[in-house]
Amino acid sequence: MIWSTRNSAYTFTAPEFPILEKQNWLIHLHYIRKDFEACKAVIKEQLQETQGLCEYAIYVQALILRLEGNIQESLGLFQMCAVLSPQCADNLKQVARSLFLLGKHKAAIEVYNEAAKLNQKDWEICHNLGVCYIYLKQFDKAQDQLLSALHLNRHDLTYIMLGKIFLLKGDLDKAIEIYKKAVEFSPENTELLTTLGLLYLQLGIYQKAFEHLGNTLTYDPTNHKAILAAGSMMQTHGDFDVALTKYKVAACGVTESPPLWNNIAMCFFGKKKYVAAISCLKRANYLAPLEWKILYNLGLVHLTMQQYASAFHFLSAAINFQPKMGELYMLLAVALTNLEDTENAKRAYEEAVRLDKCNPLVNLNYAVLLYNQGEKRDALAQYQEMEKKVNLLKYSSSLEFDPEMMEVAQKLGAALQVGEALVWTKPVKDPKSKHQTASTSKATCFQQPLGSNQALGQAMSSAATYGKLPSGAGGTSQLTKPPSLPLEPEPTMEAQPAEASAQTREK
Amino acid sequence: MAATSSLQADGDKGKSSEASSKWLNAVSDPMTNIHTFPACMALADLHGDGEYELVVGDLGPDGRQPRLKVLKGTVLRESPLPALPAAAVTFLMESHEPQTPAVAIASGPCVYMYKNLKPYFKFSLPPLPVNPLEQDVWNQAKEDQIDPLTLKEMLEGIREKAEVPLSVQSLRFLQVELSEMEAFVNQHKSKSIRRQTVITTMTTLKKNLADEDAVSCLVLGTESKELLVLDPKAFTILAKMSLPSVPVFLEVSGQFEVEFRLAAACRNGSVYMLRRDSKRPKYCIELSAQPVGLVLVHKVLVVGSNQDSLHGFTHKGKKLWTVQMPAAILAMNLLEQHSRGLQAVMAGLANREVRIYQDKALLNIIHTPEAVTSLCFGRFGREDNTLIMTTQGGGLIMKILKRTAVFGEGGGEADPLLSQPVKLNVPRKTRIYVDQTLREREAGTAMHRTFQADLYLLRLRAARAYVQALESSLSPVSVTAQEPLKLHAVVQGLGPTFKLTLHLQNTSTARPILGLVVCFLYNEVLYALPRAFFKVPLLVPGLNYPLETFVKSLSDKGISDIIKVLVLREGQSTPLLSAHINMPMSEGLAAA
Repeated sequence: MIWSTRNSAYTFTAPEFPILEKQNWLIHLHYIRKDFEACKAVIKEQLQETQGLCEYAIYVQALILRLEGNIQESLGLFQMCAVLSPQCADNLKQVARSLFLLGKHKAAIEVYNEAAKLNQKDWEICHNLGVCYIYLKQFDKAQDQLLSALHLNRHDLTYIMLGKIFLLKGDLDKAIEIYKKAVEFSPENTELLTTLGLLYLQLGIYQKAFEHLGNTLTYDPTNHKAILAAGSMMQTHGDFDVALTKYKVAACGVTESPPLWNNIAMCFFGKKKYVAAISCLKRANYLAPLEWKILYNLGLVHLTMQQYASAFHFLSAAINFQPKMGELYMLLAVALTNLEDTENAKRAYEEAVRLDKCNPLVNLNYAVLLYNQGEKRDALAQYQEMEKKVNLLKYSSSLEFDPEMMEVAQKLGAALQVGEALVWTKPVKDPKSKHQTASTSKATCFQQPLGSNQALGQAMSSAATYGKLPSGAGGTSQLTKPPSLPLEPEPTMEAQPAEASAQTREK
Repeated sequence: MAATSSLQADGDKGKSSEASSKWLNAVSDPMTNIHTFPACMALADLHGDGEYELVVGDLGPDGRQPRLKVLKGTVLRESPLPALPAAAVTFLMESHEPQTPAVAIASGPCVYMYKNLKPYFKFSLPPLPVNPLEQDVWNQAKEDQIDPLTLKEMLEGIREKAEVPLSVQSLRFLQVELSEMEAFVNQHKSKSIRRQTVITTMTTLKKNLADEDAVSCLVLGTESKELLVLDPKAFTILAKMSLPSVPVFLEVSGQFEVEFRLAAACRNGSVYMLRRDSKRPKYCIELSAQPVGLVLVHKVLVVGSNQDSLHGFTHKGKKLWTVQMPAAILAMNLLEQHSRGLQAVMAGLANREVRIYQDKALLNIIHTPEAVTSLCFGRFGREDNTLIMTTQGGGLIMKILKRTAVFGEGGGEADPLLSQPVKLNVPRKTRIYVDQTLREREAGTAMHRTFQADLYLLRLRAARAYVQALESSLSPVSVTAQEPLKLHAVVQGLGPTFKLTLHLQNTSTARPILGLVVCFLYNEVLYALPRAFFKVPLLVPGLNYPLETFVKSLSDKGISDIIKVLVLREGQSTPLLSAHINMPMSEGLAAA
């Protein structure tokens, strides 16, 4: 070869210094390919040759150390880089990032502010400052920084963080606004789409929620968060088979998700496959033993299966985790009634009536029990209480009532000699075909108090409420086999307690 | 997601074995020992005989033996390179016949040009301007106007403030020990200080004609964050552009003298767009990740990021699409099938796949025995559509695209999750379960009553035991407000003498406890203790006080008994704490 590497090496004056950045490109190449072993070898060689002066080699070494989890060491190396070239904002940014990862948010903010002095138009600095402020709970400052980051350059991540701030502040409308903008900016980001869909779901805007969740599923058919939310919406509309096929896809990806198994179980329940429902619920309960919604559903399914002793245990466990829900006490009371423990059943009903403000079923079931015990006066009081609630519901919303519930209420009204109650006039006119929709709207009414911020919780709550729906259909078959209840004093009323108990069991 | 991805891979394997008929295997040699990356591979007709050859700038197995390798047919020729190659391209220098392209290898601060595979010209980057202040300081040192210490101080001052970084010589000087400074200055002061940079990437740009065989300029990216365009004949610098960061990958379209667009992916995770008349970038794409490859497909700029995804951007930096990869991207290059006018992106992945994408659509997946680290597609030998890949272990794989092969959309991947019916894994229930269910239906009330009765009994017993423990102060923890105490005892030894250690702890937060006594109650026939009654020292809160005493077993019949320990307050007869210690049997006596 013509070119020798050591042309000037043998001149006697002084050795030529190697170019510091000679192999930076190679270091970078190995680094981006994640070939860290080769990268470290080149870095070592380079640092030896330049006696530790090659800034980029130190920089990449620190990056690798940080990726490997040695944050403290990486911090030291980045600080060394910052000494070697104090004018470089990049080094300061990395120092701050290491501090951030170590949880020293205040120190990180200081260094980021230093870096911002060197480079004012960097979205990354603004964004990271915003994130630091979020951790320090200074939401206003965080918001300012994130907005200025968006102003410099728009990134999905900044939108997500900004949305999070509004969610933390509890400002759903603002959060939705931010996510809307984000989706406009990057329409294929499934995380943004799912979050937006779930926010709409939380606000009860089902059309839009479904639209966004559907979009997510077109881009990523295996996104389990979206599947779960969309599935629960289908479940609410009674499309159990469609929901099940969706869940099957999700079950391949996340096999150990308690809400998923809960929803699958309630699909089976809707299809009257009770054993499968119990199997799936038990799996969900195994995965999340402290989740009251699963226990609630387990109690419900066991009531339907006439396994009152088991139902009692699940329901009392659910009450231990969620002592503020009237419906749970009502179900417990139904179980106790069937276990012939009337005293405790009454106490449970008392608690249910005390906690519940809007569900007429609680009062109706209580009235039936009292009537069967011969306490007509108390039964009448509960019946009137129920009428009040029915009236309230009728005027406050366009709710329609379960026809079976109405039937039982009418019979009880007759027995109590209150005359034909007029509260039901409007719903009674409704044709039978409206069965499904009626139950749907009822489910949504329960959804509100159950809903939580969590996507999964949301999906779950709708399933938990949904569980009550199909029993309207299932109940009739059980009528043929009246459960052991104390017999009625008047023979004419014989059919009624059976029906009432079927009703209570369902609810 | 692990299960999903593995499932996907399985689904794809089945697909690609049938789709692999698109390719003919030409060469598969795991031992060629070529270690390179896409920027160091080029295909060209170097001898003008219509036989295209493969030019590779090889790093060598451990990055120490850089070589230029040229593969013609199956013959491999190689010659050593002076330093590691950063890029290798082939380009036409002049338009007159015979047109044989030259090979340019960028390495360190130089570009080495070969014609007919013989060294032809060496271009060196011009040195960077040095800081005039630094120059002044060294000049003063040269004339011995300042001593080394002052020199050091001044240089440090320059380093803190100046925009232009110091030269290597000054940086080295700042590191030298005090004793060696004098010698260092004497040795180096006569030399003029220099700042040299290196080439990080290189590509070609047609000079004034768009034809296939038009003269091209070299475009160099340097460590000093600059882009240079070189004249193909005189090797003078035609244009100079500066970037905010160090360029890693370059993509160019157009002609230098007419209009061109240049995309430079940089180390700060951004891609900058430049045009002919712009000295500085016009648009900027911030990836928030490191780019691992840059390919221009028609008018779409495809960027691979180290977060395992491919992004498509317009020339103005608007994001068009994103595709997630199953593994890290190692290499990217353009696939261009002239006969069908097809342009696509090939990406070599760490999971031993090569995926071919046209925009978002996956066209084909090739499975390779090793992860592919560099790849290129084009004319090799006399075959138009050849895919050449080198692998992590230094192997070489060549595949020829069948002339009948047509890439159809969705050819590589049908969604396996939606097409395959998936069985839901519902746990089965046993016969016993069903029987139990029936039993519960029949006798639910009785079961419930029995359970409740037993539960009450259990609670009653627990409460009784608790009351008893409280009454006799048997618990190891005293909860009285004045003396919160904790006691536990350890017996050590085989006998006949045992060591009994009482650990007493004051659990109050601040108050010390004074005036406690310990009393042992035991059967005097069986055991002897030196002191059956002693005072406890002052107990400082939180500390653990071990109180030791020896117990001698007197019985030789192997009988053991209980020793009661009582902790009392002086002057009170009810104990604060008491403990029953089950003494072990004396084994020492039995052995004797």
